[in-house]
Amino acid sequence: MSKAKKKKRTKIRIDYSICGEKGKIDPRNCGLCMRACDPAVFIMHETLGTEKQQKDIYDPQDWRITPIWGSLCSRCFKCVEVCPENAITITW
Amino acid sequence: MCQWCMSHGAGKKWYMNARNYSDELAEESNMKDYLTEQWMNFEQVYIRKIMGFSSKDLGYKLKMPIIGRVLRWRAESMIHSQKKKRNPVRADGHFGQVIPLEDAQIIMSELAAEPIICNYCMCRWMQRRKKEAVCINFGVLSEVLEKLPRFIPKDRVVRIDRETAVEKLEEFNKKGYISSVWFQPIPYINAVCSCESPECGAFTLRNNFDINVMYKAEYIIQLDQDKCQGCKSCVAMCQLSAIRFIPSMDRVIIDYNKCYGCGVCRHACKNDALKLIPREEYPGFDGTY
Repeated sequence: MSKAKKKKRTKIRIDYSICGEKGKIDPRNCGLCMRACDPAVFIMHETLGTEKQQKDIYDPQDWRITPIWGSLCSRCFKCVEVCPENAITITW
Repeated sequence: MCQWCMSHGAGKKWYMNARNYSDELAEESNMKDYLTEQWMNFEQVYIRKIMGFSSKDLGYKLKMPIIGRVLRWRAESMIHSQKKKRNPVRADGHFGQVIPLEDAQIIMSELAAEPIICNYCMCRWMQRRKKEAVCINFGVLSEVLEKLPRFIPKDRVVRIDRETAVEKLEEFNKKGYISSVWFQPIPYINAVCSCESPECGAFTLRNNFDINVMYKAEYIIQLDQDKCQGCKSCVAMCQLSAIRFIPSMDRVIIDYNKCYGCGVCRHACKNDALKLIPREEYPGFDGTY
């Protein structure tokens, strides 16, 4: 009996110094990786823990993208190719 | 009839009970403050911590030996929470059920509380950066949402009347979107969504991680094999890939485990071969919501 080969965790990293609330790209204007991803791994959200610092609580301005469903990633690298600033890295 | 029909349905299906839509119920539990707090930070619900664990890469964490089972139990009890002290920044007590177009239209024409608004779907915004006004919200929630600019289309009328809502639902359903009705939180109902998979967070959680955020409909699809001509147009309509075409037999087959009973495929069938039957009449799937 051979054990089924255990699939390693896919680690998707986004460089928030490039893309995110402090980087030069606002994910709300780009979002190409989210469009490219077939299983919809990424979500875009207001940055956690900044509710109190937001100027307008009804319309938050700090957004970033998190690869939330990492286990659904099929490692197709479409998001890496499509990112204009090469902010995404995938390792396993 | 699922367990929520028993506890909140008053003898009917839970979403057919007019009390669940009433303003009195909303006032009783101070829904306005709760929903304002929840929707101000709604995009954060997925990344909130469960028991100190970040929800990032939830799929891997649920597979961990003991921790995974505890996490699953915690997430399920959070989603189905009926406690008085619910946390508004998480999805406490927020889950839905797929409904066919007919039921959605009954809700919009008879049960939904005024005012009714049609706003941007936040699942599509979060997962695809796509703004599409397909969410129909009503009651207290629409007053809350009108204050949040990112959900509100600027160039057209947001408040709509019941007839427009019924028409819109039919339009979305024929496009292939699945209607679903939402507790938010239990037992208050204030949204009829038009979802698609995998953008919808609830479908993602249910299909991939088996967390019951989206219940299957009270109906299931039935295919009349004599009427089916094998034109395959229903295959393209199914969001959940429950219909498959078998070339050797020149007809389609249905995967009942994947079918949610939304009835969207009926719009594509020219031969009237697909129809919805109540789930109870299908012995193997009675009670599998």
